[in-house]
Amino acid sequence: MTTYGLLFDYEYCTNCGSCQVSCKEEHAYPVGKTGIKVMTDGPWKIDDEHWNYNHWPIVTDLCDLCPERTNAGREPICVHHCLANIITYGPVEELAQKLAEKPKQFLVVPQFNPIGSREKFVSKKTDTHKAAHIEVEGTGKASYAVHRHDTKVGEIDENEGTVF
Amino acid sequence: MSEDEFYKRAEVVKLDTLSDVNDIGKPWRYEENGLTVTRTSPWSPPGCHPVGCGLKLYVDDDGKLVKVEGDENNPVTQGRLCPRCVALKDYIYSPARLLHPMKRAREDRGKADKWEQISWDEALDIIKENYERITAEYGRKSIAVFAGTGREGGTFAPYGTMCFGTPNFCYTQSGYACYTPRLAAIAYIAGTTYPEWDYAGALPKRWDDPAYDQTEVLMVWGKAPLESSPDGFFGHAVIDAMRRGTRLIVIDPRVTWLAAHADIHLQLRAGTDTALGMAMLNIIINEGLYDHDFVEYWCYGFDELAERVKEMTPERAAEICDVPVEKIYEAARMYASAKPGAIQWGLAADQKTNGMQQGQVSVALMAITGNLDAPGGQILPGTGAGHNEAGFGFEKGVGADLQAEMIGLAEYPAYCMIILNAQADLMLKALETEEPYPIKMGFYAGNNLMSCTSMEPKRWHDAIVKSLEFCVGLDTFMNPSIEASCDLFLPLATVAERDGTVFTHYAPCTVTAGFMHKAITQGEGKTDYEVCYEIGKKLRPEVWEEFATAKEFMEALRLGKREGGTYFDKVAENVVCQIPVSYYKYERGEMREDGGPGFATPTGRVELWSTAFNQFGEDPLPYYEEPEFGPVDPELMKEYPFILTTGARTIAFFHSEHRQIPYLRELNPDPITEINPAVAKRLGITDGQWVRLTSPFGECVQKARITEAVDEKTIHAQHAWWFPEEDGNEPNLYGNFRSNINNLLPNFHFGKLGFGAPNKCLVCKVEPIAESFDTDMDLIWEKFGELV
Repeated sequence: MTTYGLLFDYEYCTNCGSCQVSCKEEHAYPVGKTGIKVMTDGPWKIDDEHWNYNHWPIVTDLCDLCPERTNAGREPICVHHCLANIITYGPVEELAQKLAEKPKQFLVVPQFNPIGSREKFVSKKTDTHKAAHIEVEGTGKASYAVHRHDTKVGEIDENEGTVF
Repeated sequence: MSEDEFYKRAEVVKLDTLSDVNDIGKPWRYEENGLTVTRTSPWSPPGCHPVGCGLKLYVDDDGKLVKVEGDENNPVTQGRLCPRCVALKDYIYSPARLLHPMKRAREDRGKADKWEQISWDEALDIIKENYERITAEYGRKSIAVFAGTGREGGTFAPYGTMCFGTPNFCYTQSGYACYTPRLAAIAYIAGTTYPEWDYAGALPKRWDDPAYDQTEVLMVWGKAPLESSPDGFFGHAVIDAMRRGTRLIVIDPRVTWLAAHADIHLQLRAGTDTALGMAMLNIIINEGLYDHDFVEYWCYGFDELAERVKEMTPERAAEICDVPVEKIYEAARMYASAKPGAIQWGLAADQKTNGMQQGQVSVALMAITGNLDAPGGQILPGTGAGHNEAGFGFEKGVGADLQAEMIGLAEYPAYCMIILNAQADLMLKALETEEPYPIKMGFYAGNNLMSCTSMEPKRWHDAIVKSLEFCVGLDTFMNPSIEASCDLFLPLATVAERDGTVFTHYAPCTVTAGFMHKAITQGEGKTDYEVCYEIGKKLRPEVWEEFATAKEFMEALRLGKREGGTYFDKVAENVVCQIPVSYYKYERGEMREDGGPGFATPTGRVELWSTAFNQFGEDPLPYYEEPEFGPVDPELMKEYPFILTTGARTIAFFHSEHRQIPYLRELNPDPITEINPAVAKRLGITDGQWVRLTSPFGECVQKARITEAVDEKTIHAQHAWWFPEEDGNEPNLYGNFRSNINNLLPNFHFGKLGFGAPNKCLVCKVEPIAESFDTDMDLIWEKFGELV
């Protein structure tokens, strides 16, 4: 099966917010939830003249690559609306080639709700140790000595209570 | 050129990220998966200075808008959309949207629960009754139409001329410090209007069109085009050009993203731009870097300009602007050597007292480098451009006698005549003092002046509430201005509920012409042209006899046609058209009504020495004037040690709009003040803490963002904040005056021609406060999240 991803040309991400709002409209995500958002680093000075100031669209665990759209042959909605036209959707092999063509890009294969989409836990272990049937006797005392074996801070006598 | 060619369907240039399954070539309306799709090109509302991006509206069988998507058939936007249109559905079906006319007794102004729903008929009757009573006593001039910015209503002059018949259409921002000063500067100097950067928007093959010449250097000056994207220009065209190799010079007191990615960033002290521009002229002239032929044949007053800019040496400018002198040299040489080079001048030009002079130096730079009307330089509108919107119906509806009484006309003709507007500051004076005469009735044409477009907003508030006997608000939502002062509310139709036109830059500098198509009906909202027509017909039927329907009026106003609406219907099917562009029009007599070569100025040339400025009593040559509030007054700076610059746009909102749209509010929940880290450390302010900003005129509180985007002398604060989730009753008025940066900005500090205001170069002090006013996004979601 072909793996699809998103290639981001973050050299030109301007933090316009269209990806986030488009995603939320498409999926009806409430305030506080989104499939994509923009993170910012900067502005801070590299040297006297030049600035580091980058925005990064980050896909979250609610990105599903818009299956209703992509199944119909269209691009995900963030790709369609991105004002700076920096997002490309496609098979990772093709995107990887584009990735090699210019710097300041990154390639992402998102996964929708990865923890939530796991199957319910069922133990796969079949060969387990079976508890043995052996009779035991009590010591009659509880011990507080948990930090060091030679620091006996107290004992609990089963008949008389705590003794210091 | 035949008309069919003028409004011809634009060719499409497909983006490479757009899938092969797409809607290119689809008609203006079509069916898809059981939905009716309407392609449209929106203007307003919601607010937008006209760009006319491509929009597809998907409507189901019940007539409900279920999806909005960018239309890839638009040659400029190509399917891309900014978040405000992406969230259009939430705006239209917001539970806070108002869909019916409402009335309220005058004594109940400021009481949010006193509105009573009425019919349009009753609303029109109420307007007529008040109009007749007030005009009988005070005359039609006592009516003021208060315009906002950007929306169709903001420039809908027929409200003044034909509807109410008053000369007092008024944009209330002190010194009209928005757009018009720049227009006035180039109109008086070069006889044309907005010289937009040529981004190949009107060329069929766009950037690859053979007629286009890729801009080598773009100087972005006092403008944040990415965030102010709706201002007549698709802002991300700058990014498209950067990808194709265009290099940037950015002149801005803030480190914007563009500034950080420019070859040269001139981080000047706010308000000193004119000194910088004069110094660049000085360098370009001294070093002979100008276009000698263009100057020789097409400019007037070059020697006088050369003499004048001698006084502004780069060294002197470096000191004034607080910019390294070598960077000024480097920028001037880079811009002058670029073939073609272009300038994008921004709002900062208007928002200083001597803004006209900044406009003047910008035009001089464009002219002497030979970039006016050159491909990849500045597009110049020729004689056929513009629709005379401001003058439409003026003679018939107002008449010469009443026009002469326009407030401010006698004092500031250079202002009032160019835009046919009452001078803003003198309007405030008239409201406060009844001089030269009383103002008794008001109409808000899509305007929230108390949150956004008025300085000292509490002063405007008090003057309006006290003076106006009757005031009408027209809008999509309630806002603080209407809540405080209106007696009647009229619902406005959104872009999805209306038809109409949209021309980039309001038409004078048209790159694309777009057409709006009504896709849905929601409530009883009407468009500006319908409201104008219906009120006008009710009040003054004699003025409206020539139009049988509102659509005929719109067709005449917008397209200059009288074909019963059929011409509109025909061309509107094209949705978006590229207006044919041609270059070097001044060589062919296409810049002047008389058909002669040259420019439409008294001397026929670009007037570097301005005859018009001289006639209006202004210096004909550019000069630098220190901002009145700033280092020129050391005593003042002791108390207010920071330069305050305000109003940089945020992409989440259109000015005071959209605060009740959760997805947009989430992008920018609180009013933000930017403070340099060193300053924050010194004053004990932490990131995210609330601060009090104070100027000699007032104060407000905002939330601090500690960032190197501003230097240590500068504070930047967002504008147009109010809180629709809060109590709307007076005195809270949705928190209108709490974070309102306009509290700190004055009226009556404009330039000699009546234009300009120091909104981007004032002074302030800043102090941390203990209280937090953080927006509770859960409350926003709870109140506005569930659509109706």
